[in-house]
Amino acid sequence: MITKTAWKNIWRNKVRSLVVIGSVAVGIFCGVFAIGVMEGAMKQRIDSALNNEVSDIQLTNPDFRSNNDLVYSISNAGAIRSKITKVDGVESVASRTVVIGMANSASKSQGVQINGIIPSEEKEVFTLYKELAPETGEYFSKEKGYGYAYIGVDLAKSLNIIRYIVDDDLFGVLREQQVPEKTIEKLYRFKDTRFKNEKSFKKELKDVLDKTELQKYGYIIRKEAENFSQRARLTLSFLDSENNMTGGRFRIVGLYDIPNSMYENMQVFVMQDQLLDLIGSENIVHELIVKVSDPGQASDVAGELSGLFPDLQVMTWQKLAPDLAMMSEMTGIMYGFFMGIILAALAFGIVNTMLMVVLERTRELGMLSAIGMNKKKIFRMIMTESVFLSLSGGLVGMVLGKILIWASSKNGISLTSMKEGFEGMGFSAIIYPDIGNDFFLLVVILIIITGILSSIYPALKALNLDTAEALRTE
Amino acid sequence: MKVLELNDVHKIYNETEVEVHAVNGVNLDFEEGEFAAIVGPSGSGKTTLLNMIGGLDKPSSGKILVDGKDLAKFKSSEIIDFRMRNIGFVFQSYNLIPVLTAKENVEFIMSLQKMPKAERERRTMELLESVGLGDRANSRPSKLSGGQQQRIAVARALASKPKFILADEPTANLDSKSTANLLEIMEKLNKEENITFIFSTHDARVVKKARRVITLEDGKIVSDKIH
Repeated sequence: MITKTAWKNIWRNKVRSLVVIGSVAVGIFCGVFAIGVMEGAMKQRIDSALNNEVSDIQLTNPDFRSNNDLVYSISNAGAIRSKITKVDGVESVASRTVVIGMANSASKSQGVQINGIIPSEEKEVFTLYKELAPETGEYFSKEKGYGYAYIGVDLAKSLNIIRYIVDDDLFGVLREQQVPEKTIEKLYRFKDTRFKNEKSFKKELKDVLDKTELQKYGYIIRKEAENFSQRARLTLSFLDSENNMTGGRFRIVGLYDIPNSMYENMQVFVMQDQLLDLIGSENIVHELIVKVSDPGQASDVAGELSGLFPDLQVMTWQKLAPDLAMMSEMTGIMYGFFMGIILAALAFGIVNTMLMVVLERTRELGMLSAIGMNKKKIFRMIMTESVFLSLSGGLVGMVLGKILIWASSKNGISLTSMKEGFEGMGFSAIIYPDIGNDFFLLVVILIIITGILSSIYPALKALNLDTAEALRTE
Repeated sequence: MKVLELNDVHKIYNETEVEVHAVNGVNLDFEEGEFAAIVGPSGSGKTTLLNMIGGLDKPSSGKILVDGKDLAKFKSSEIIDFRMRNIGFVFQSYNLIPVLTAKENVEFIMSLQKMPKAERERRTMELLESVGLGDRANSRPSKLSGGQQQRIAVARALASKPKFILADEPTANLDSKSTANLLEIMEKLNKEENITFIFSTHDARVVKKARRVITLEDGKIVSDKIH
């Protein structure tokens, strides 16, 4: 009966209660959606890192990570790989030969990590082969293997392999993309110009377009002007096993595009047998990369592998990418803290409303005490009212937040105008908001706590009322 | 059998450093089944006396014994529980919970006593029938007249099967027809169920119905007559 009365009580003053419920709903809605966006971005980052960059577990020579020297390889890697594939929970294993070297184009050079891979194994562990930028070639195949390199879009830009061409085709594509004619006209002066790199094209664009146009269309114009020649080549050079400079010329088989420009700039993939030929060795493997069937079991599998191969260093993705692991661990606390701040602000409104409730119902509270409602029950009634108020708003906010998250996750939220900044931090510029159901449980608990805490002061005021005095109140 | 005894009860208020002797040495006994009115002019101490009898206020000195138990010896939590089980209140301005229906208002106190639902509902309907409002069980107080609301208040006061009912000016806001109706119901319940009724009142119609009239002046009993 107390619960029923408390629920009915909140509708005594509909307008006032709806204002409180509305403010809680807006606060929770904004919080839930903002966290949905953060969580979506975070999940995409971790998924991309696991699927394209590090996978679940890596085994290396214990000295390899600190020295990155050719000599610190895994001896007898073939046999070890076979044993690993038989361990419970292991889905697939890829072996890599890794050297640090230089990538050179006709006009530029850059330090890179050259990964010698076996494409069939890589496809079982990573999905990088799917991340091919449109119209930039393909992944390694039977016909295109030896003599080819698979590199990142950003490295291609850094090495001036990607050029920027302004021509009638570009104007046509920009019109299709709804770029205003006024902006396109400003580009006419560059017609049939070929820019060597993004930097020089950007500089010219900055001179002809105003700030808003640059912000709104700068990225689209650059993206559409990109031109990659499938005949492009690069040279990779490094020290061989005898410490002599060696290297080779590679055609670019394709460009991969992932939301991590640092990785794109650093990682080059070539066929393992070709790399070994250049190194001058028959069989050197530096990394055995393991994908597990259940990511939640990665630590257990890593523990088992450590026991099986005590001479190797076994690292889970959390150790390989500690920044991501920390982000992933901190998210729960961060979201709780974020929602806590929102609810703390809302609590002041709830306290104020509940104080008015107590003030308005002084005589009734006196009557309830007179007829035998003890302090505990009066406290409970006020507390329940406060929880109902906050929970009603909270539920509305959560439902609306979930709907918006669901709707926006279909096509994602495009922040392409800030793509460079996002990708610089390893995040995708198209965010697919996402939120787990356990988060809503956390929010419900936080709302209930807020409701309870907000009711304490008003309830204490009610308990301190003198019954006879309260009954005399008009 | 005595249900209530007041022995040399005083109540002194110290408002603005001036002592006000609201109740001044009252000695009274009430037997089970009495239908008594406490009368007197405004400020004579009627409400203060009723509040002390009901345990809403504490005497400055003297003893109030309900069923032989000294109210002063109860802790504040115990006295609330004691009130719930032993005393029914009827207030001048009805004091029903506006968001609850007539039925729920009557049922409320029984739910506090954790009475089983079926029993609670049966008794609620019995009480509403006894005050002649069985057909208005689902009406909210705002849909009822003053007289009907006060009858609901009487039904609520009876819900916990109290030893006695304290009614502070119960007819002050009622017209003569409603007053007569209410008095008739209370008299019937008093006779049929042997419940003790103690009123404070100005109303001559109530005084006329009362079988015992206690007159207070300046906090003292000036007369105590049985009709």
